[in-house]
Amino acid sequence: MPRVAIASASSSQFTKESGKSIFELACEPSIKVLLESGIGKQVDAVLVSTCATDQYSSTIVSEMLGIKPKVSHRVDNLCNSGTNAIASAYSLIASGLCESALVVGVEKATSAGNRLVWDLTRGSFNFPVHWASMFARAHMRRYGTTEEQMAQVSVKNHKNAAKNPNALFRKPVSLHDVMNSKKIADPIKLLDCSAPCDGASAVLLFSEKKAKKTEEPVWINGIGQQTNGASFASAGDLTELDTARKAAKEAYSMAGIKPSQVDIAELHDAFTILEIIAYEDVGFAPRGKGGRFVDQDEIAINTRGGILGCGHPVGATGVAQVTEVALQLQGRAGKRQVGGCRTGIVHNLAAAGSSATVMVLGV
Amino acid sequence: MESEFTQHLKQGEFRIPVCTKCGKKAWPPSSTCSECYSRTALKKVSNRGVLVEFATSHLRGHEGVFGIVQMDGFRLVGSFESADLSEGMDVRMIECGMKDGTPYYLFAPEK
Repeated sequence: MPRVAIASASSSQFTKESGKSIFELACEPSIKVLLESGIGKQVDAVLVSTCATDQYSSTIVSEMLGIKPKVSHRVDNLCNSGTNAIASAYSLIASGLCESALVVGVEKATSAGNRLVWDLTRGSFNFPVHWASMFARAHMRRYGTTEEQMAQVSVKNHKNAAKNPNALFRKPVSLHDVMNSKKIADPIKLLDCSAPCDGASAVLLFSEKKAKKTEEPVWINGIGQQTNGASFASAGDLTELDTARKAAKEAYSMAGIKPSQVDIAELHDAFTILEIIAYEDVGFAPRGKGGRFVDQDEIAINTRGGILGCGHPVGATGVAQVTEVALQLQGRAGKRQVGGCRTGIVHNLAAAGSSATVMVLGV
Repeated sequence: MESEFTQHLKQGEFRIPVCTKCGKKAWPPSSTCSECYSRTALKKVSNRGVLVEFATSHLRGHEGVFGIVQMDGFRLVGSFESADLSEGMDVRMIECGMKDGTPYYLFAPEK
């Protein structure tokens, strides 16, 4: 199959309230990648990833950017909209329909589509923190994972975010701060949770032919995706995510690599417990040992500050994760640059892990 | 079907759609069976289940004890009046309804 590369990637400043429309927000990182790549306005596809319900958004963004693409559409799959949009753009290029595609993920903290309302199986406890607390309790009970280990994830990611000029939270937090933050749903506390925000990230994808003419192409070497259902009722075992395990296996297989070859990873840390489960699901730690893996320093994890530190502009998150790994692989991550990384993965979930994407990127 | 489900729920009746052909429970409520694509019809089902996990919510407007309950062939998140619970215990739905447009399913441990 023809290869597909990321030619350029960029994120905007994530904020509590930008005062901008989703269209204005979407244009910011898009203009950066268009100018940086030198492609100008000759883009074959424009895909907008968002949970905002504004109709015709990708076509509006195209017009605002002066692009007349062949393909234009909006992608929504809640918190993993971003990697879904990139998978779609990848397919458009790999199939030969397009030579280039702009994928921009964008969200407002107030977007109507940020929360799933359809799922009546959750009764009145229908916030993401409620299912997250169930995962945390189950992992603690079965494997002895502790609240301190979860808190360490938050400490690590906030520390990383302090080096990221685009992060929403740029103040480090201590273990004491996390442990003593407000209880939200036992055992989950305020600093175990990510926060909705405004933000946008964009990546420009090129065909192999086009990418070879660029300086720093980052190859998308593997994509794995799995969806098991939309409802929390469809979740199986609460200590692992079957979707993420399947997606990771498929992505590694497509890329022809093993988890031990990964240098850098963006793992979906909307809640601290999710990063711990992710260590196990993507094969970094054996089943049940995720809590103890927090301390390791072999693999650089969530160097931009993750979702905990950067904020969670739902439709933008997956694109922001891919942007971080691409920048790191290109050696362009500034103060947070990790030396010598060649292979990275992105792990992106939606709605209690009922769907998942894993991507393998490499240079 | 979803509205028919909530209509009954409003009156405190827990009836869920069951496939008229293969008998599979359609949960979350749906007018079509996801197994054989036949129509479903509301049926009264057992109110007994097993508590899988539980926690206490302090979220403003959503305070209280809640837990995942494994019913016969489906799962839901129920509320409880006390945290004097343990995983794996037998529980029973004692009340259900709609409050501020959101369903609630109140459970208690089996005596």
